Amino acid sequence: MEYWKDENEPIKAFVKLFEAAMVDAELTGGLKKVNQLILFDYTEDGPNCSFWVDCRKGELKVGPGKPAEPPDMTMSLSADDAHRSWSNKLNPVMAITRKKIRVKGSATGLLKLAPKLKKVAAIYVTVLKDLGWEDKILA
Amino acid sequence: MNGNTGKIINVDLGKGSIETELLPEEYYTKYIGGSGLAAKLFWERGNISADPLSPEAMLIFMNGPFAGLKLSGASRNSVAGRSPLTGNWGDSSCGGYFAPELRYAGYDGIIIKGKAEKPSMLLIEDEKINILPAPEYWGKGTEEVNKAIKNKYGKNYRVLVIGPAGENLVKYSIILNEGHHAFGRAGFGAVMGSKNLKAIVVKAAGKNMNLADPEKYEELRAELNPKIKEALASDVMRENGTAANLEGGVVSGDVPIRNFTSNYWEEMGQELNGGILTEKYLTKRRVCAYCSIACKRVVEVKEGPFAIPEGPGPEYETITALGSLIGSMDLAAVCKASRVCNDIGIDTISAGGTIAWAMEAFEKGDITENETGGIKLLWGDMATVIDKILPDIAARKGKLGILLSEGSLAAALKTGKDSVNYTVQCKGLEVPMHDPRGGGHGLALAYAVSPRGACHVASPMLFMEMGACFYPEIGFEYELEPMTDENKAETAVIAVALGAIENSACFCQFADREIAIPEWVGLFNSVAGYNWDASDMMKAGTRVFYLKRLINYLFGRTAKDDALTPRMLEPARDGEPEGVFINFEGMKNKFYELMDMDTVKGIPSIKKLEEYGMGVEAKRVWRET
Repeated sequence: MEYWKDENEPIKAFVKLFEAAMVDAELTGGLKKVNQLILFDYTEDGPNCSFWVDCRKGELKVGPGKPAEPPDMTMSLSADDAHRSWSNKLNPVMAITRKKIRVKGSATGLLKLAPKLKKVAAIYVTVLKDLGWEDKILA
Repeated sequence: MNGNTGKIINVDLGKGSIETELLPEEYYTKYIGGSGLAAKLFWERGNISADPLSPEAMLIFMNGPFAGLKLSGASRNSVAGRSPLTGNWGDSSCGGYFAPELRYAGYDGIIIKGKAEKPSMLLIEDEKINILPAPEYWGKGTEEVNKAIKNKYGKNYRVLVIGPAGENLVKYSIILNEGHHAFGRAGFGAVMGSKNLKAIVVKAAGKNMNLADPEKYEELRAELNPKIKEALASDVMRENGTAANLEGGVVSGDVPIRNFTSNYWEEMGQELNGGILTEKYLTKRRVCAYCSIACKRVVEVKEGPFAIPEGPGPEYETITALGSLIGSMDLAAVCKASRVCNDIGIDTISAGGTIAWAMEAFEKGDITENETGGIKLLWGDMATVIDKILPDIAARKGKLGILLSEGSLAAALKTGKDSVNYTVQCKGLEVPMHDPRGGGHGLALAYAVSPRGACHVASPMLFMEMGACFYPEIGFEYELEPMTDENKAETAVIAVALGAIENSACFCQFADREIAIPEWVGLFNSVAGYNWDASDMMKAGTRVFYLKRLINYLFGRTAKDDALTPRMLEPARDGEPEGVFINFEGMKNKFYELMDMDTVKGIPSIKKLEEYGMGVEAKRVWRET
């Protein structure tokens, strides 16, 4: 991995990112509209390298690992590309076209999230700073 | 011949004659099929000086080699000839069910000339081809006529029909298949109307096709159909239609608003997107023949001022052209306006673009109630658009209806007062609903150099800029930044060839995003036996692009016509692209250089044409020098 020293680091950052996003009114609204249980699968970089976000039934939850129930959508990619993606430095359409991102399940929720990526990236910078990982911030 | 039948129908409506003709195989391997083959036939046989609405004008319907295959995206065809809207080369493609039926009946295409004495229809039942009187259908809407023809002949008879707008020679009239699928652009409904031809109906007894290598084709089909069906974009469009990502388009500044005066309207994005259409009005999803994407919508608006019964629903282009472009975010009204346009038979893009221009002209005082016959043109006034403006355009009735029935450029030229500056068209064809200032600067170049005028499907530039294409075999493996001019001319060289291939093969651009270059080549070879490699295929695409440029040159179009209006080139006033300048001339100059096109004439050099096996064509356009 280019940006992470082990498989725990990215999950720590991404879970914190979603915890922070879940207190932002605009993003909360956007996430609730997704209305899916999503698994972000980075297991190509380690067996425990994954986390989930549950946006169903008007509630928002996030946790490391795999969800207890089968996800509505699974997004598989490398932890490095996830870092680029949350930093808004990866064109998601291109990444999907080139099979860097693989999506299983209904993808309509993705489109609801796509317009919010810029705001997510701003929160991600703050999260990385809070974790003392300024060196991971992508210019 | 394989894939193709090699046979076309020549109809002279004036003489009442019908003849079939076998075309040389070389026409197909050089010009592919569809709009490419139509261009070849027009180049050889078309009367360049003929008015597009005169009896001498040629109206050409042409299949691609894949029509009739049980393959997602393959069942489209083209209509082509001289556009009555632009006066230039025009072509328009359509999905639905007509193309496969024509192929099964034994034909690749139909060339229609002359003018019937009375309203007529053409009925093709395998070898039995007849011109029949059709006075009972004249003056009626597309929905009624489509139903009446199916009631009379059978539901599996495939029907192309024009509406009253085509009969009245409205310059952007459409031809509609099965009441839902449109040859939308460039006004060929008016050409049918000018020939007193209300409908074309086809039915084949069987579904036979000869394939060059059935086993290889079957292998490809087994790979491609699931790939297309399971693609993320297909999934999204199946769920929420072609407007699924409208909200994302608003964020990037791609969605045009109020005649391209704004690039950002958040509430509109939330109200007009495909998810909302699904939630509020969708009753069924529909497909073109053999397609698994199912992007077509069937909608019903149950109540309110814009209530409509269950029937064809709007796609992205229509939602935007009859929504945000004219200042509305009322989705029910868009559904109704779309239904009206279908029934009267006009292109929603040109209708929206022309009405949007008129609304701005009214706002500026460049046209007043004097010119509109007392109609107030106000942004978002959908009741007036639906109840008055659209019907008047179709009937060419009243001052405003007559003015707008010719399209935005003609209306602006008649109006004067610099109002051409805020038309949003290229070569007279209204710009589709992707604003290059937010959608990608390469799209500005693609609009300008497209032979038929502003067109988002003449090439896949839009998809290439957004990252939805990856073709390492032909040199497209780099990343593009949509909001710059970097590598856009180089990309356009690839894009115009790919677009010509897509439109000549008559393949849906949503489905064919999943087809890799080796698979394209495999399809051409296993179905039609073209015996190509990737280089041969790209060369054929570029040849088709060049030929359409040559036809336009004969119509008097030159390099200066590869232009966009000031409205398109001024920096966006708001949204993501606010203030960004498009280096249009820089991209155009580079494209001309790379394509070896003359910077005055706008056509390729003799040397380049000879390189593409077009020495004879070169002599015709370069003979004066």
